[in-house]
Amino acid sequence: MSPSESNSKAAESSKLEEKPKEAQQPNLSVLEEDDEFEEFPVSDWDDSKTDLAHLGGAAPGAAKSGGDKLWEDNWDDDDVEDDFSVQLRHVARWFHNSNFI
Amino acid sequence: MDFSTFLVQLNDAIVYENGPNLAFLLRPTSPHGKDLVKEFRNPTRASFSRYEGSMQSPWDEIAIQYVLVCTHVAKKRSLEAFKEEAQLVSLFFRFFTETPGWTLPALCSILRDLRDLAIDADHYAKYNNQKSECMEESARVIAKAFSYCVMDRQSPLEQSRKWGVYYLVGLVMKCYFRIKRISLSKNILRALEANNDIPALSLYPRAHQVTYRYYIGMLSFLNEEFAKSEEQLTLAFYNCHVDSHSNQERILAHLIPLRILKGHLPSTELMKRFPVLDELFSPFITAIKKGDIKSYDQALEAWETRLLELNLWLSLEKARELCLRSLFRRMWVAVDKGTRLPISLFHSALTVSGLDVTDDEAECLVANLIFRGFIRGYISHERKMVVLASTNAFPPVADRPSPLSSI
Repeated sequence: MSPSESNSKAAESSKLEEKPKEAQQPNLSVLEEDDEFEEFPVSDWDDSKTDLAHLGGAAPGAAKSGGDKLWEDNWDDDDVEDDFSVQLRHVARWFHNSNFI
Repeated sequence: MDFSTFLVQLNDAIVYENGPNLAFLLRPTSPHGKDLVKEFRNPTRASFSRYEGSMQSPWDEIAIQYVLVCTHVAKKRSLEAFKEEAQLVSLFFRFFTETPGWTLPALCSILRDLRDLAIDADHYAKYNNQKSECMEESARVIAKAFSYCVMDRQSPLEQSRKWGVYYLVGLVMKCYFRIKRISLSKNILRALEANNDIPALSLYPRAHQVTYRYYIGMLSFLNEEFAKSEEQLTLAFYNCHVDSHSNQERILAHLIPLRILKGHLPSTELMKRFPVLDELFSPFITAIKKGDIKSYDQALEAWETRLLELNLWLSLEKARELCLRSLFRRMWVAVDKGTRLPISLFHSALTVSGLDVTDDEAECLVANLIFRGFIRGYISHERKMVVLASTNAFPPVADRPSPLSSI
């Protein structure tokens, strides 16, 4: 790689870093102020045109354990394996070894 | 369509009690509006004098009013258009109060038009640095229509004007939300509550139910009545037409944080349907699942401006507790779910995850989670120990009793 090439690369990457923070905010144009709750094109419809089907007969307000697959109410997982669990096990071992537990 | 034909068609709609057609005839955006503007060029009320009496009152005047509105709209004179439409509505009221509910489609349509014209008029005034309160005025007019609906004691139930009640309440709230004077909604809601002979909301068309529940849900949300808000927004979401995607999105934008606080995280299936909301909420949801408090705080900070604009910052800041709970739970799992644990263990978990706090702050965080029902146990302050319940020390978040009422 020639020095000029590496310079332009560096310039590029610094440009990326300078990207203003605002620009990284999610674009929520649909939720803009002037855009409001819309008039429905028809005034009435039956259950088949709604999300009631997802409830599997449960009353609105339930989650997965109550039959509604759109909401999860149990995300506790004892077997997560990631860097963080390794770090937490280090902490645990230290507490054990020091007889704090 | 010329004016004479317009009069004939108006007359037919009234004789045949055809509400939707009457609504169509009175809409400034209907195609015949342009024809009538061409026919009269620069109409004044006086230029119509020969038409007065050509139809039963107030319809001769309403027809004339309609041409005046269309003319102002065509010439982009928005304030005049609004004023003439308000006059049209007030003439229509004379007829409306004498008839049963078949006229409701026309009533709702002209009030919607009035509100749309108020938006244009206020917008124009603002642009020209003028004071304008057309939206307040249209809210007052709609509230008057509401009282004409509520007071219908003559018509048989199936033809009652009462079937317009919830649509109009929704429309009034829409006006007040637009001008950010939401507390003014209270008057009409009080009037609604005071009338106990109004049919149950579930008997109304779904469009009326969903819009009404959305605004009640939003009003409760902004008043921090979260349990009520969650209930209303849930019903709004599940009764909403699935093709009205942007309405569903608006409902979910506030329902999702409430559900999170309750202990219901939106599933991947749900989020896939709403990519915009996925982008907004997924950093928080992922952080809650992992107990990654650092990422949670970063997300709060990075999107602070948008979250504040959408009034979502407070609820997501509250939901930070769920993330702390996950972190402490993972620490607890790593020590094989012991029941007598030093507070310093949880302090270390905070440190490892990148949160720099003092001993006292760490103890306070644990105590708060116990107090809020996320952890079952107690703290021995002297021994700096947490004593956890031998069973169900970290109950599922959703199992806490009335999770939204204590926020």
